[in-house]
Amino acid sequence: MKPLLSRRLAFVLLGVLLLLALWLSLSVGPVAMDVATLLRALAATLGMPLQAPEQAQLIVAQIRLPRTLLGLAAGGVLALCGVAMQGLFRNPLADPGLIGVSSGAALGAALMIVLGASLGGLAPAWSPYLLSLSAFAGGLLVTALVYRLGRRQGRVDVATMLLAGVALAALAGAMIGLLQYLADDATLRTLTFWNLGSLNGASYARLWPLLLVAALLLWRLPRWAQGLNALLLGESEARHLGVDIEQLKRQLILLTALGVGAAVAACGMIGFVGLMVPHLMRLLLGPDHRSLIPASMLAGASLLLLADVLARVLIAPAELPIGVVTALLGAPFFLYLLIKGRAHA
Amino acid sequence: MRRKGLALRCVAAVLLSQACLSGGAIAADMRLISAGGAVSEWLVALGAADKVVAVDSTSRHPAFLTQLPNVGYQRSLSAEGILALHPDALIGTEEMGPPPVLKQLDGAGVALHRLSAEASLAAVQANLRKLGDVLNAPEQAAQRYRAFYHELTQVTAALQPIAQAKPRVLLLLSHAGGNPMVAGRESAGDWLINLAGGRNVATHQGYQAMTSEALLALAPEVIVVTDRALQGDEARRALLQQQPALAVTPAAQAQRLPFLDPTLLVGGVSPRVPAAVAQLAQAFYPALKLPSSLLAGHAP
Repeated sequence: MKPLLSRRLAFVLLGVLLLLALWLSLSVGPVAMDVATLLRALAATLGMPLQAPEQAQLIVAQIRLPRTLLGLAAGGVLALCGVAMQGLFRNPLADPGLIGVSSGAALGAALMIVLGASLGGLAPAWSPYLLSLSAFAGGLLVTALVYRLGRRQGRVDVATMLLAGVALAALAGAMIGLLQYLADDATLRTLTFWNLGSLNGASYARLWPLLLVAALLLWRLPRWAQGLNALLLGESEARHLGVDIEQLKRQLILLTALGVGAAVAACGMIGFVGLMVPHLMRLLLGPDHRSLIPASMLAGASLLLLADVLARVLIAPAELPIGVVTALLGAPFFLYLLIKGRAHA
Repeated sequence: MRRKGLALRCVAAVLLSQACLSGGAIAADMRLISAGGAVSEWLVALGAADKVVAVDSTSRHPAFLTQLPNVGYQRSLSAEGILALHPDALIGTEEMGPPPVLKQLDGAGVALHRLSAEASLAAVQANLRKLGDVLNAPEQAAQRYRAFYHELTQVTAALQPIAQAKPRVLLLLSHAGGNPMVAGRESAGDWLINLAGGRNVATHQGYQAMTSEALLALAPEVIVVTDRALQGDEARRALLQQQPALAVTPAAQAQRLPFLDPTLLVGGVSPRVPAAVAQLAQAFYPALKLPSSLLAGHAP
C-alpha cells in the first residue's frame, strides 16, 4: 500500500489540525466570548498576571480547559490503543473491544449505576469516582480473564484470545441486560447516557489518572513500533527477526487495558475512535508503525475534540452524547473510504 | 467602567430585595431554569412562567414551555449551556445531574434548588414551601398548596361513603401498546391508584414487565392505560391489539380502561394530580358524583 502523503507533510497537517481542534474546543461554546477575553482568561488560568471577567475566567478554567484536556487525552489514548490492537491482531478491523476491556468496563459501570444505590452509607460525593473506579476495574478484570484464557503453555494464542474475548463480551452483555432489567426508569436513563459517552462535567480530578495513563502509553508504545512492524509479517517471522513476541503481546494487552479502561472510566463509552483513526492513518501514511503511532495519537485527539465541539453547540443549551457524534461523523466517512477503496481495486 | 456597572447592579439588587421584602411580590427580573416536568408546572401555577428562561426535556406541560430553550435531559445537563442563559437559579428535583456539572454551576454562582420527586403529599408541601422561598412569595405558595390539598380531599371525601369494595386495578405503561410495564408498590402509579380509591393488584416494587398470563391471573377490574406514544382511544386500541390476551380480563370486557397522561408518573407530583385522581376515581366508581370543575382540573 502506497502512502497518500509524504511523512513530513502528513505530520504538519496533523499538527495544524490538532492546534485548530484545540483552539475551537477552547473558543467555541454556548457562552459567546470574544478572542481578547478568551486569551486573557486563558493567560490568567495559566497563572499569568492578567484579569478577565469572572464568568469568562470560570468558564475557561473550570469548564472548557478541563474538557479540552480530557478530550485530548481520551482521543489520543483511544486511538493509540486502536493501533496496538490492530497491530497485535494483524487485522485492520480489530478494536480494543476485542480483548474484553470495553465490555468489562461497561459491566463495571452498570454494576455501580444499578446496584451502587444499595451500597448505602457512601457519601454521594464519592459516587462519580466509584463509578469510574468500578468501570476501570471491570475493564482490567475482564481483560485479565481473556488473557488468561488465551494462554497455552506459556504462550498467548491470539486466535484463542479473540474467541475468549467474544465469549466474555457476550457474557458481560448478558449480565448488563440483567442489570437493566433490574434497574428502574431513572437508572436506566443514566446507564444509557453513560454508554453513549460524554466529556460533560470534566473536572481536573477525573483528568489526572487519564493523563498519567496517556503519558505511560506515549512512553511505552513507540518502543514496540519495530516489533509491530515485524509482526505484520507473521508471528514466527517476527520471532526470527528477534522480537520478543510474548513480551510484546503482554505489554500491548496491558497498555490497551489500562488506556481504554482509564478513558472509559473518565468519559464513558466512546466508540469508533479506536477503530477508525488508526485505519485512516494507515491509508494516509502506510503501515509503518513508527509513523502510525504518533499520527494516530494526533488524529484521535483532534477527532474527539472536534466531535465534542459539535456535541456541545449543535443543540445548545443542551448537548449531544459524544459517542453519537463520533459515530455519526465517522461511520459515513469510513463507508466512503471503503467504497472508494473498492473502486480502485 | 466595569466597576461602576457592578456598583450600580449592587445598588439595584439591594433596592430590589427591599422591595421584595416589603411588597412580598415575586422578584421581577429573576431568571429561572427549570429542570423537571413537575417543577415547571408548579412554577407556572405560581404565576412565575415569565421568569422561566429555559426548561429541560421533561417539561412538556403547559405546552408553551416547549417553545423555550431546552437544556436537555435533567440528568445530563451541560454547565456552559446553562451559564449561557445567565440564570439566577436552577430548580430541579433530586434527579438532576450529573453531579460534576452541578458543582460547576454552583461554583459559577447559580443558586441550585432541589425539590423532591417523591409521590406524596408531604413532598408537595415541602416543594411548594421551597418554591415560595425561591420566588419570594411564601404566602402565594402556601395558598396554592391549600388549594391542591382541598381539591384532593374533595375527591377522597366523596369516595369515603362508597369505597367499601375497592376495584382491582392495574396500571400499564406502554409504548404504542407494546411491552407494557406494570406499576407496582412505591411507584407514582400506585400512589395515584390508592388516592382514587382503587386497589393495585400488582405487588412488585417499581415498574416491571409482566407476561400476559400473569396479567390475566390478576384479573383486574380496571386497567389504567398510559402510553408514551399514543393518547386516549388510540392507546386503548393499540394495547388490546398488541396484547390480545388482555381482551378477556374483566376490565377489557367491561370497557373499563381509563387513560392517564404518562407525564404524571415521572419527576414528582404535578399540579394536575387532583384532576387526574378525580378522573380515575370516576372510572373506578361510575356512581360517584364529582363536580365537573374538579374533573376538568380548573383550580377554584
